[in-house]
Amino acid sequence: MNKNILYLFLFAFIFSACEKDDICLSPTTPKLILRFYDTSDPSTLKAPTNLSIWAEGKDTLATFKNVSLDSVYIPLNTNTSQTVYNFKTSTSGNVADNVYNKITINYTTEEVFVSRSCGLKSIFNTVTITSDNGWFQSFMPNSITTIDNETSAHVKIYH
Amino acid sequence: MKQALMLKYIISFLVLIVSFSGFSQVKDSVSHTSPYGLRLGVDISKPIMGMIDSNSSGIEFVADYRISKNWYIAAELGNQKERTVEDYTTSTSKGNFIKLGLNYNAYKNWLDMNNEIYVGFRYGTSIFDQTLDSYRINTGSDYFVSNTTVTSIATTDLNAHWTEFVLGIKVETFKNLYLGFSFNYKIMLSLKQPNNFKTLYVPGFNRVFDTETGFGFNYTISYTIPFVNK
Repeated sequence: MNKNILYLFLFAFIFSACEKDDICLSPTTPKLILRFYDTSDPSTLKAPTNLSIWAEGKDTLATFKNVSLDSVYIPLNTNTSQTVYNFKTSTSGNVADNVYNKITINYTTEEVFVSRSCGLKSIFNTVTITSDNGWFQSFMPNSITTIDNETSAHVKIYH
Repeated sequence: MKQALMLKYIISFLVLIVSFSGFSQVKDSVSHTSPYGLRLGVDISKPIMGMIDSNSSGIEFVADYRISKNWYIAAELGNQKERTVEDYTTSTSKGNFIKLGLNYNAYKNWLDMNNEIYVGFRYGTSIFDQTLDSYRINTGSDYFVSNTTVTSIATTDLNAHWTEFVLGIKVETFKNLYLGFSFNYKIMLSLKQPNNFKTLYVPGFNRVFDTETGFGFNYTISYTIPFVNK
């Protein structure tokens, strides 16, 4: 009987050592996902060459520096209600061939609790997007009710 | 071959003697009495934890009452304030708790000793407040660093109900004075959650794990007020 109790103690202590909710594995604040399409063939994806992306007044995003991808994701600033991004592309890679486009994203943030380790995330409501007359031919949609996940692209850009 | 057979006989004989001597031990002509009464105590681990960890302060009183040779009615009563610091949130829980249940002493005492190795079961409940002291939005990226927001979003009158399985020992060090240690595993039955946040800590239950389970221990000094000796 005494031996059994000792085993029970041991069992209980082993159990107490497991803290599986310490690491944040759930999705947190969603990023804005953009996909690039060919303006002359709107159902075909078209990756811009030598694409660089940076928010106004900040360094280029480390993951999007002179890349050629048809799908990109950009974080929105949760401290403000507006984020401005610049997109650079160049057909040759030479600075002389650089073309730019600037988009402005306006939104309201809503704070949503996720979990102990993840804390609170932001979701973005009443999102509106405007663009200057750069290398984007068009984009859609220009307003989104809410961005609360990263499961699919939020904005299609034609160029 | 002969030697092996011889050895077998010797072993059988020894076994026989041992088993007989074991039987004779059962008969005990002297009867010992043990005290029945109310035992009151305090958990000394909580004040010590409070001195070591500035995020924790609390007190717990323990009591049990012996109802038969091996069974005791047991209770714990206390107050706890705990600050929980996570990567993105800091929150404080404070409130009172009570636990009621039974202990079964599985230890066979020799002569007039009164020690215990026990298993127990409790029902526990707590009424408490939880305040979100500060938080920082988890942006999932370090491109924009989120600001820390200091708030005091308090949710009052939260409550919790749970069950506990207890394992513990109690040793009589001086006459009627006991030192005890116990460990418990808790399973939440019902827990009220604050709006857009989560109850991370419940007084008496301690940290609430994702599976709605918890762990606890106490280290007690208690004194028995003997009513009768049986």
